[in-house]
Amino acid sequence: MSRHSDIKKAVLRGVYEDNAGIPRSVDRPGQPKFVAAAPGPAQRSGYRGRVLLVAMLAVVALIGVNFRLVTVDGSGPIAMQVVNRQPLQLPEAPLSALLNPEDDHVLESERPSRLEPPQVLKHAALMTSGDYVTMLTSLGMPMADLFDLKVQTIVIDPGHGGIDPGATGQQGLKEKDVTLDIARRLRDKLAASGDYRVLLTREQDRKVFLKERVAFAKKNRADLFISIHINSLPPGSESVNYVETYYFGPHTDQRSLDLAEKENHDSDYVMGDFREVIARIGDTLKTEESKELASSIHTNLFNDLKRRNRDLIDAGSKTGPFMVLLGVEVPSVLVEVSCISNKAEEARLGRPEYRDSVADFLEAGIVEYLQRRAYPETIEGGKTQNVAQQER
Amino acid sequence: MSPSKKDKMLYVGIDLGTSRSVVSASNGNRKWVESYVGWPKDFVAKKMLGKRVLFGSEAQEHRLALNLSRPLQNGVIKEGTERDDAAVHELIGHLIELAGVGPDDEVCVAVGVPAEALKVNKIAIRNAVSDHARKMMVVSEPFSVAYGLGTLDNAMIIDIGAGTVDFCIMHGTVPTEEDQRSLLMAGDYVDEQLLKLLTEKHPEADFSLNTVRKFKEKHGFVGEPKRRVKIEAPVDGKFTEFDITEEMRKACESPMPAIVETVIDLIASFDPEFQESVRNNIIVAGGGSQLSGLDSFLGEATKQFASCSFTCISDPLYAGADGALELATDMPEEFLEKL
Repeated sequence: MSRHSDIKKAVLRGVYEDNAGIPRSVDRPGQPKFVAAAPGPAQRSGYRGRVLLVAMLAVVALIGVNFRLVTVDGSGPIAMQVVNRQPLQLPEAPLSALLNPEDDHVLESERPSRLEPPQVLKHAALMTSGDYVTMLTSLGMPMADLFDLKVQTIVIDPGHGGIDPGATGQQGLKEKDVTLDIARRLRDKLAASGDYRVLLTREQDRKVFLKERVAFAKKNRADLFISIHINSLPPGSESVNYVETYYFGPHTDQRSLDLAEKENHDSDYVMGDFREVIARIGDTLKTEESKELASSIHTNLFNDLKRRNRDLIDAGSKTGPFMVLLGVEVPSVLVEVSCISNKAEEARLGRPEYRDSVADFLEAGIVEYLQRRAYPETIEGGKTQNVAQQER
Repeated sequence: MSPSKKDKMLYVGIDLGTSRSVVSASNGNRKWVESYVGWPKDFVAKKMLGKRVLFGSEAQEHRLALNLSRPLQNGVIKEGTERDDAAVHELIGHLIELAGVGPDDEVCVAVGVPAEALKVNKIAIRNAVSDHARKMMVVSEPFSVAYGLGTLDNAMIIDIGAGTVDFCIMHGTVPTEEDQRSLLMAGDYVDEQLLKLLTEKHPEADFSLNTVRKFKEKHGFVGEPKRRVKIEAPVDGKFTEFDITEEMRKACESPMPAIVETVIDLIASFDPEFQESVRNNIIVAGGGSQLSGLDSFLGEATKQFASCSFTCISDPLYAGADGALELATDMPEEFLEKL
């Protein structure tokens, strides 16, 4: 009786201590975990401003005008002058006619004695689309950044569903249920920042053809597409557990070909789509961004899951011929989170807290990719600084 | 706090569940409500319903005119969902109102929530309660059940709810994360399975999640059926009888492998010296514990690993709220004062 009373006292003290530790008024849960994560409106306007500045400077450079700061007496920087350091290189008539030598803003100007077309414009008529790509990429920033292509809509695609359960674990856990739950959690986490519209290709346990998933992403003008799957290995390999992430491209090994064949099954695509399929394979901008996205997601997911499972294998971020990735015209990846055929992993996937962690890691990868696009200099060694964690 | 002050305190225990929320108060009031909260969609709906917010079956009944929320879907408040946060706030206020708080009563509330919500939404729940009571504590649902039953040492509580199945090992202290597990394959999952099985077998009949949930609550069983399960469902508007015994068994047994696995896993993680005591003291609570034949089914299913003894509690609806009430009442004054 006395022992029971002691236990009760200890339990009550424990409840008190647990509750006394809860802050009474803090930020609402669901706020972004990464302080410098997804660019907010203010950050974005700064980013836009930077891109605008780059564009303005480029225009100024093109018309051959340079700025320099001089004082009235020429000793220090008080007023801004526009001067020509060298003969203005402009196309002959139309553009030079736009320059008004009487402009009030021009404190001092020298009109060129002779106008010559700049080299880049002189050859413009002869440039091919490949040359344009070379020219744009030589500026040292991704094309998506140069054109200030923002990410507004993220489509998350929970693999399988309905009568298509996907892989099934030894204890009966189905891939379709796990992918849907992780996708829902990921959606809620990404949407909490308020910066993105986040949509799921399926909200319920229902069959959705690959073609419908692609059509959904197109219809909703997706900017990013993330397909979530769980792997399964044949009998005899139950002890193996690995993470792998794909973006569209040729298969790198037989296993990725087999996997693509499995995931492409029942795609509802017909041979008539073949021409379009082939035409899209050369889509370099999408491939470049997909590769970045896949790498970011994979690195975060593997590194964080590895802490919970020392036997986890890194199968890498690589290309694979997945139809669902090919059809979507924006950066897109397919994540095989882990192997449900591994009994211990199946047990882990059955726990909500583990699935929530997986969603956290996927979120971190996506956020890091977005942040890298917005602030390339803030990412060191490919890892986002989790400021919240550091502060703790 | 003076003794007289404590005497004037109204203690309230709340079980905030995915499907049902229950309140039990020290003045003897015990009430429950389905965990639905709805706000009229527009001015017309507000005028027609004559209320700012509706709860439970009334909210469900008028769902077409309401923005309806079931805030603890899947056992947690969805993060960043303002409507669900607001729904929890309203629901707790409503339950405290049902407890019959007097104008001069000082209220002390203990809220039991699904284990996952305690982990994810602790602050949100605390904030929701703080507008209605100054003194409060939030605990996990299986823990409040254990406290109410007095099974604080060498026992396991399995709380089979609608959103989650929560497992908790008690060993004389407040359970930590390692002592707890949660599964998503709970009551709602069984309903979905049953609906799917019935729709596949009888595509001509008109079933809905609500109707199959009622079938389950009335006829749910695992193992061998005691009698055939016969229900009526509309076919082209005409009620027709169907024998759904097999579908009911399959759906109700669908989460059992995962439950058995988790029981074994949790016991295995416990100190070997006390594993036998835990195996012989497994309490099953929550709405799911009302499935007919559950205790013997689980006992049989775990036999291949180790002999376990399962007991389904007699009053699953109020066990959580009663446990929370007892916790609030037992909390020493010096602790209460600081909460």
